Amino acid sequence: MKAIKMPAVPSRGAMAGTALALLCLLAWPGVRHNLEASMTRHMLLQYPLLMLAGYLFAAALPGRWRARLGLWNAHGISGLFAVALMLAVLMIPRVLDLALVDGRIEVLKYLALLACGAAIHLSWQAAGLLVQGFFLGNALPMMAVVGNLYESSPLRVCNAYLLDDQARLGQMLVWISAAIAAAWFAWLVRALMQRDAAALSGDAAAATEPTAH
Amino acid sequence: MFRTALLSAMLALAGYAAAAWLTHDFQVWTAEGARRLEVALQPVPSPAVEVDGPGTAPQALSLVLADGQSVTLVDFVYTRCQTVCLAMGSSFQQMQRALQERGGKVKLLSISFDGGHDTPDVLRAYATRLSADPALWQFVRARDLQGTQRLLADFQVVVVPDGRGDFEHNAAFLVIDQQGRLVRIFDYAEQQLALDYAQHLAGAAAPSP
Repeated sequence: MKAIKMPAVPSRGAMAGTALALLCLLAWPGVRHNLEASMTRHMLLQYPLLMLAGYLFAAALPGRWRARLGLWNAHGISGLFAVALMLAVLMIPRVLDLALVDGRIEVLKYLALLACGAAIHLSWQAAGLLVQGFFLGNALPMMAVVGNLYESSPLRVCNAYLLDDQARLGQMLVWISAAIAAAWFAWLVRALMQRDAAALSGDAAAATEPTAH
Repeated sequence: MFRTALLSAMLALAGYAAAAWLTHDFQVWTAEGARRLEVALQPVPSPAVEVDGPGTAPQALSLVLADGQSVTLVDFVYTRCQTVCLAMGSSFQQMQRALQERGGKVKLLSISFDGGHDTPDVLRAYATRLSADPALWQFVRARDLQGTQRLLADFQVVVVPDGRGDFEHNAAFLVIDQQGRLVRIFDYAEQQLALDYAQHLAGAAAPSP
């Protein structure tokens, strides 16, 4: 499968540095309180940014480590499964409230989101279309259902957040899950078309053994 | 592949354990649900906070609550409130009427979390506006900010400014037993249930002949 063209250009050190800087920024009390002051920013900015930091950390891992982790992560299955589980738990409304008042939960939340990002980096390419589709087929409907609950609930599900904030978050969760689904589907169609084109041109050029992807 | 399967199985177990812990075995999904369940399982003693109000000289909240005889229904309010507190106020008015008719050792207490504004004088005017009967329905505030924060933290009341000068808070009826312990929390839609429970609790401790 075609990966990004220049995999080695940002050096591992730069990746790790960026990830560390991002993590420090997100752990900075002022930034943390600001992001957590709103339910929407909490879930739609802080969560993905922490996942991004985790993703960059994983990108900075030496190949040796990655190979070792890969033994436990055939086809990215355990990695993506872990992400689906962690996101499901992290979307339970009680987590948002607990993270605000209990430092231990907050630390666990940070670690889980970093792990999510790292697991996505370590698993996504290896997963292939089938496992990717299965993962998204679970995670995105879950996100949309949670979003719909948040949007339509007449009660506040979090004591620390306002109802309109919650409704806005719910609406955005639904839209984002739909957008990710559409983007992945477009990418899927493109990948399949490229695969077909490669197979055809391969057949035409020489009737040698077909290259497996 | 075996290792992947093993790791996935372990992850599933860990995820299940985390979710079960968070939701008290899949009974509650929100912090408010957990709060109500935890209080029902494990009563919360009233915090050592000094309060005062119209007809209540400065004293510890536990003294106001734990008179050893009556059960107290508590709600949290602020007098500038235009939304939920108004509904709670009218609920307390109805409860007061029911208590005046039926009697029983149940008292009502409204605690203001806006102590800076809700001085005893303001609370007195508020009580008059709600035609509160001082024998049944008292109003107090914590005397300082730390006291208010302590009170809110111990009873897990979360107050959020809504940016328009009002406060949103997890409004509910708190049932305090004769020893001053918070024993049950009812939703503010469950007014009758809260009153019946409080009367039952009061009756159970001192059975009338």
